[in-house]
Order: sequence, then structure tokens, then C-alpha cells
Amino acid sequence: MFGELTHIVELFQFPFMQRALLGGIMTGCTGGLLGSFTILRQLSFFSDALGHSALLGISLGLLFGINPSLILLPFAIVFALGVTYLLERTRLWTDALLNIIYSASLAIAIIILSFVGHYKGGLTNLLFGDILAVGEQDLITSGILLLITTIFIGLTVRIQMLITLCEPLAIARGVPVTIHRTVFIVLLSLVVGVSIKAIGVLLVSAFIVIPACTARLLSRRFFSYIPLSAGIGASSAVVGMVCSAAFNLPSGPSIVAIQLGFFLTATLRGLFSAQSPT
Amino acid sequence: MQASGFQEIVLAVEHLTVYQETYMAVQDVSFVLPAGTDTAIVGPNGAGKTTLVQAVLGILPHQGGTVTLLGKPLSRRGYLAFQVRQQVAYLPQSFLFDRRIPMTVAELVGLGWDQLKLQLPWIDNRRRRFAVEGALYRVGATHLLEQFISGLSGGEMKRVLLAYCLVRPRRLLILDEALSGLDVQGESDFYELLYELKREEGWTILQISHDLDMVRRHCDRVLCLNRGLLCQGEPEVALSPENLFAAYGSAFVRYRHHH
Repeated sequence: MFGELTHIVELFQFPFMQRALLGGIMTGCTGGLLGSFTILRQLSFFSDALGHSALLGISLGLLFGINPSLILLPFAIVFALGVTYLLERTRLWTDALLNIIYSASLAIAIIILSFVGHYKGGLTNLLFGDILAVGEQDLITSGILLLITTIFIGLTVRIQMLITLCEPLAIARGVPVTIHRTVFIVLLSLVVGVSIKAIGVLLVSAFIVIPACTARLLSRRFFSYIPLSAGIGASSAVVGMVCSAAFNLPSGPSIVAIQLGFFLTATLRGLFSAQSPT
Repeated sequence: MQASGFQEIVLAVEHLTVYQETYMAVQDVSFVLPAGTDTAIVGPNGAGKTTLVQAVLGILPHQGGTVTLLGKPLSRRGYLAFQVRQQVAYLPQSFLFDRRIPMTVAELVGLGWDQLKLQLPWIDNRRRRFAVEGALYRVGATHLLEQFISGLSGGEMKRVLLAYCLVRPRRLLILDEALSGLDVQGESDFYELLYELKREEGWTILQISHDLDMVRRHCDRVLCLNRGLLCQGEPEVALSPENLFAAYGSAFVRYRHHH
């Protein structure tokens, strides 16, 4: 036990570990902030489709010899806006359409990757995340994204609340709902794109959804729910990263397991408290 | 605004036509709401009542005619001057939002007070709080201030929504069947409260209603709608059996006579 602790303390000496921790805190915060609105607006599945599509972006970058980090974010934005447009135009059910989109982009991405010989070994890292992959440039991107998200949510929180509660009500009050929806979708796709390296395409949506659901179980007051969601996101990312490094586990699944731990704790607390069911 | 001596016109709708995709849902509708009046829109299901009020509010675009709210025009695509928006309150049809959304009554009513501009969340907290407490007091719901919206009964929710309208001075209230789903006792209490506040606040009201008895008792004017405007006038005239027959068809008139 003591040996494990020393091992963990030693790990913190490594720059990669410090980067991973800092990155975890920042993406956890951003994911929790945006996630708090994502689950209430029932866009959870949408964030899942965004995650899967990121692999398509990466594989296209590799195929054409462009640095995947450069192509990932623009691709995520274009893809998200395209899917939003499609969802508004189609007469099909949203969940069915999103299912088509994410299985198709996963399939196409895997086929493309099979042509890019030298990247075959990296597939597991792409799917499940790799803390070693978090570089300095990623930290800067995450930091900027956290800043933008915090400012955006901070300045428009009551507008976002009204849109979340009832869109016609917000339009009647003169809120440009379409613009706000688009900005939100763009931010969501950016945070998914940035989180991909550490968490992996298959699990990135958990980053958006699980901490927010945990926060929802713990609070029914909007103004404590949002910071709580961000805090749970950040702390589960940190704990997950540490476990991943300490026990040599893939980083994405480790973070999600910790998120699940928090979620189950919150569920049990709800079950045993005297309060009415949440 | 009109010169004194004339009654001010709060809402003027002229030849309004609204398409939903290729279907003409509202056809060439014209009416005015003088200040302080209470107008009911009646008509069968699918008559375009909700479409009409949503077009008046700019929630839906309109394809023909003009809408003028408090002297300011509404653009085809739904833009309306912000100062006018602040003076209009709207409660959508059976305002059943997702009760799982974490929100307290104080937070919900506070949204009615807000200017909805870009601002830091804690700005104006004290003034907002004061306005919210005042509004809840006037609807007799002070005790609900810190309650979660997930736990409110139907009647409590209606009072809270009324406080949402009341929390800032308004000129026009647009209610789309705001009362559906409320028990009869609660309904009459609610109307009593609504009309008391209407007198005090000088509200003009435009409401969609299925309760023709309520309309006869309270409303000054009635619009019978079935895509186009079939008739308009005082309740005794507009709700005569002939006009009801034209709006609803024979089955409804027989139903009314038997009850």
C-alpha cells in the first residue's frame, strides 16, 4: 500500500503526469459546464455521435497526411453544424438518425485507418484514450476553451436557462434562440474534439453526460447544479488520471469508472435520504 | 400610441396570413386589442389558435399582413423591438416543461424579471430578489419561494407562472390555454386572482380558451377562429348558437345545449 503511494507521488514528478492532471482539470470543468445543459436539452446522444465522428476526422487527416490535431477541431465544428442542420430538416427520429451517423462515421473511419498502415497500433489509443498523448499545445487549447466556455455560460446563464426550460418562451422574450443553439453546439463539438486524446472517441460523451447527471442527483437548484457539475467533472478526471498512471490502465476507461463511482454514490445518497425521489 | 380621448391600441393585427410548410394555418385575420380589454380566441382543435398567437409573438414567421405591438411593427421573420418584448408576457399551451430540470421557484420567477442581456450572473441579485418576493406575495405563493419546480402541484405552478408574468410591469398578457389541466375549484380561484391583478396592473389580455362559460363571464371580446376569422364581437353576439355552429359545426352546438 505504501509502495503504491510512493509510486503515485513519484509519478507526479513526470511532466507528462502534470500535463495530464492539468488537462484533466480543464477538460473536466469544460465538459461538466456544457454537460449540465446538454443533458437537460436531451443532447446526450448528440455528444456521443460527435465523439465517434472525431475518429473520422482523425483518420481523414492521417490519410491525407495532415496533422490530425489540426484537422480535428474544424472537422468537429463542420460535422456538428451539418448534423444539426440535418436533424432540423429530416422527418426521421433524432435518435435513429444519430445512430446512423455515428455507426457510419465509425465504420468509414476504421476502413480509412486500415489504409494507413503505421497507425494500426494507435487505434486502441484513439478509441480509449492515452494520457501520454496530452501535449503542451493541447493544454493551451483546453485552457482557451475553458475560458471561452466559462465566459459564455457566465454571461448568458439566464438566457440558457430560459432556452432549456422552454424555447417558445425564450423566443417570445426576444432571445435569438438559433444563434444561442449554434454557439452551444460549436462549443460542445470543440470540447469533444479537445478531450478525444485523453479519453478516446468511444468514451468522450461520458465526460459530458455522467458528471452532469451526478450533479443533477445532488442538486435541484440551477445555480449550484452548474458549478457542481463542473467540479465533479474535474475531480473525476483527476482521480481517473492518477489511477490510470498508477495502475497502468487506459486513461479513458479509468476516468469513466471514477465518474460512475461518483454517480452511484449520488444515487445511493438519493435512495437513502428522506427527501422525495429526485 | 394614440391621442387622449381614444383608447390606446395595444395590439393591431391586419390581414395576417401564416403558412406552416405548405398548409395555410391562419388566413387573412384582422383584429385589434384596445388597452385594458380581455379578448378570447375560441375555435375547434386545429383551427390555428396557437399558430395565430405564436405568429403575433414572432415565434412563427408570418407570410402576409402586419402585426403591430404597442405601436412597433413585428418583422416577417419575428423581430420585435426589445422594449416592446419586455412589456409582453406569454404563457404557452399547458406549460408542461420538463420537471426534471433542476430549478427553484425563485430562479424561475427571476427569469421573468431579467432583461436577458449579456451580464454576469450575480449582477442585480438584490433587486431581482426583491421583485421576485413581491410578485410571489401578490399571487399568495410566498411560501413556495425556495421550493423546487419538480414538486409543485398544478395549481401552485399556475400561480408561480402568474408571478413570472407579474414580476415586471407588463402591458399585454398572451395566455395559450394557460389553465388546462387544473381542477375546477382551482380554476375559479385562479381566474379571480387573474382578474384582480388585471385591474391592478392594467393588463390587456389575449387568451385562447375552450371554456365558453368563462369567456362569457369575463371576456370583453371574442374571436371565433377556424383558419380565418369567422366572427368577432362581444361574447353574447360572437357566441350565439349561429356563430358557434359556423365555428364548431353541429355536434358542438348540440353538446352545449344539453349541458
